[in-house]
Amino acid sequence: MKRKKMTLAILLACSMMAGLVGCGGSDTAEAPADASGTEEASAEGAEGVSGEDLKVMIETPVESIDPQIGQDGTSFEVIADFTDGLMQMDADGQAVPAIAESYEVSDDGLTYTFHLREDAKWSNGTQVTAADFVFGWQRAVDPNNASEYSYMLSDIGQVKNAAEIIAGEKDKSELGVTAVDDTTLQVELNVPVSYFLSLMYFPTYYPVNEEFYNSCGDTFATSPETTLANGAFVLDSYEPAATSIHLSKNPDYYDADKVQLAGLSYQVIQDSQQALMSYQAGDLDTTLINGEQVDQVKDDPEFLSIGAGYMWYLSPNVRDVPELANLNIRKAMTMAIDREAITNDVLKDGSTPTYTAVPPQFAAGPDGSDFSEDQTKFSDVCTYDTAKAVEYWEKGLEELGVSEITLDMVLDADDAPQKVAQVLKEQWETTLPGLTLNLVVEPKKQRLQDMQEGNFQIGLTRWGPDYADPMTYLGMWVTDNSNNYGFWSNADYDAIIAECTTGDLCTDPEGRWAKLYEAEQIVMDEAVIFPLYTQCNAEMLSSKVTGVEYHPVALNRVYKNAVKAE
Amino acid sequence: MKKYTLKRIGTSLFTLLAILLVLFILMHLMPGSPFNDEKLNDDQRTVLYEKYGLDQPVPVQFVKYVGNMLRGDMGVSYNISKNTPILQLIESRLPISIRIGGCAVLIGAVAGLLLGLLAALKHDTIWDSLATVISVIGVSVPSYVFALALSYYFGFKLRWFPMLFSADTLFKSSVLPSVSLSMFTMASIARFTRSEMLEVLGSDYMLLAESKGVSGPALIFRHALRNALIPIITVLAPLIVDLMTGSLVVEKIFSIPGVGSLLVNAIQSNDYNVVIALSFIYSAMYIGIMLVVDILYGIIDPRIRLAKKGD
Repeated sequence: MKRKKMTLAILLACSMMAGLVGCGGSDTAEAPADASGTEEASAEGAEGVSGEDLKVMIETPVESIDPQIGQDGTSFEVIADFTDGLMQMDADGQAVPAIAESYEVSDDGLTYTFHLREDAKWSNGTQVTAADFVFGWQRAVDPNNASEYSYMLSDIGQVKNAAEIIAGEKDKSELGVTAVDDTTLQVELNVPVSYFLSLMYFPTYYPVNEEFYNSCGDTFATSPETTLANGAFVLDSYEPAATSIHLSKNPDYYDADKVQLAGLSYQVIQDSQQALMSYQAGDLDTTLINGEQVDQVKDDPEFLSIGAGYMWYLSPNVRDVPELANLNIRKAMTMAIDREAITNDVLKDGSTPTYTAVPPQFAAGPDGSDFSEDQTKFSDVCTYDTAKAVEYWEKGLEELGVSEITLDMVLDADDAPQKVAQVLKEQWETTLPGLTLNLVVEPKKQRLQDMQEGNFQIGLTRWGPDYADPMTYLGMWVTDNSNNYGFWSNADYDAIIAECTTGDLCTDPEGRWAKLYEAEQIVMDEAVIFPLYTQCNAEMLSSKVTGVEYHPVALNRVYKNAVKAE
Repeated sequence: MKKYTLKRIGTSLFTLLAILLVLFILMHLMPGSPFNDEKLNDDQRTVLYEKYGLDQPVPVQFVKYVGNMLRGDMGVSYNISKNTPILQLIESRLPISIRIGGCAVLIGAVAGLLLGLLAALKHDTIWDSLATVISVIGVSVPSYVFALALSYYFGFKLRWFPMLFSADTLFKSSVLPSVSLSMFTMASIARFTRSEMLEVLGSDYMLLAESKGVSGPALIFRHALRNALIPIITVLAPLIVDLMTGSLVVEKIFSIPGVGSLLVNAIQSNDYNVVIALSFIYSAMYIGIMLVVDILYGIIDPRIRLAKKGD
């Protein structure tokens, strides 16, 4: 009897295990449809193109492929692979007509009329119409959707009534966008917005087909079946938080002749060593690498340093910390930073030292020149000069009547910020006598919360541009802006920004540009921020691949014109 | 027996509720919020909090959560995959973690048993020392070190197996993660088998069996190993849950779309619902297995059941 029971027990244990295990390679069908099979893809793409899949590494899973809900760079990149907006980005980041064939702007700059092309089709065969844009834009401002990028329409795009709808004061049908007929879309703005066209390639402004959306209900944009494409590629393998995503060339795309790739195959790899090995083994065509790996590959011709747009800077809390309220102390601190040492000796990923409040290479002015190309324009207040720094420092200490200052600096618990902070501490403590810097390392979410609540002394933070205009940076230092962490306030500055955002200067690009320079001058003279560097991402790109377009704003990578040699 | 079982089930359910409450409180003590992006302004944050009911007091949220959960709704993801129902997220991922973990248990248990047997039978020889060294390494070296090493040699250098998990080559790409995960199980089982076997081999009934003329494999497997197995099953049970609920780091290394990597990402982005749901499911599995083991004991060994009755 006892033996029987024991046998039973062992059998039970074994069957429990076996039942849960299901080891074996036979039941492939059960696994999530992940049709990244190259053969299949190239067969599909065989129509006139003999391209291959481009295999791309991404660091994090896509958060959402719903254009009005997605809010991170990776999601935007994937959404833009299969969706076109009114305008798209060209290789230089300029807005060029896409679904809109042409457009007109009224003389007062308040009304935009877009004429849509008739051959733009959704992947279910229906035409992309002006009504699809109206529906998409209304979704973006609908408080029920709580779109995190709704401010692209209100604060930044200044679309009529957007702000009121977001605040729940008006109905979404009152949004200043109208479908005059199937191919004519009219947009009304509160004030002229000089960069309005460049917002049109931002996914928040992409169209959504209402009929299709309603047929999906809650499941919209959660699978290839509940997603419609009107862009260069069609999604054919995706599930929420997927680690691999596959897209194939869209044969019905109006510009399909120009698309060379058979498809795109995304692979999420969170471990940087695995990513580089996969790349070296040929399993990837492009991958991000981290600063430590740069030394291994820096002589490789396939190594690239791509501007990521982010500017890292220090924000002193000028309201609550008496020492930092002193201008001489702030000037001394910013001049005691050796930014070149930070980028060349510590980061080594191609990041560039930055000495301006608006980083270079993302905003071009009316004459086409880069707003911050001249990095020496503030060399009297922001440069590396230890002698001058000490001079300001001593003056500051005297004004404060102290001989020693101890400051806490908050920073993210990530790799790069910690390294940068260590160097800053060393540079400051060496150059400025009597300064002690304590590093307070926190998870990013905590650090942001602390800074937003003013619970910090000096903070290491970053900002990425949302649109190609200096205002995306300068708008931050307005009194009471939630990103004005240091609580700096200057009435003249606020007046300039107001004038450039909603005032008369909106219709005068040259005048506005000159005023923006003035605003930047104030921020720098007052040492409200200590710019550090503009971040670059270190990437590997196979020499077989050409035509990938990189942008620091909105869509970080565009593959429409990419070519992969056999 | 029935009373004993019912009592155990009751305790388990109560424990689960307590775990849920603790999880809920811990989540809300976590620094930051799910919507703490530098791009968000206060108005938008308010809208988001309202939409997801996070503006309500924590006790209200808890009661609502438990109510929804009883109806099979574990909420939606805030960050990892915006607005996707948690169950949908877990549904497609749990089988993958269970598969990899299950393979690891199987490999680990079989290899561990063999290793332990070898060490016990060749007690105090070079084989014994070798087995001991292997188990010490297996227990002390973290699985992600094995993962990276295996991936480098067998994936990158020799190209025998893919470095990353892929549904297309399910079997081949499961090998490296399963093997790296199995090392700890193998080592633990080997150590237990060795000591249990040594104890059993030295017992009187083994002497009796031997004197009856039983010898060779029959002696080892039918008489010695079977008796040594009971404690081993006890150790194996929690290991099974550990492995099946996904390895946090190994899944990340091999890009396995399992629940382990989901949990890591969820914690990093304060995705409350995902963290609570996953931790809860882990706890439920753990408690479930422990319950099964407890009841199994009663069946396997009447002495345990009788002892409980006598309480």
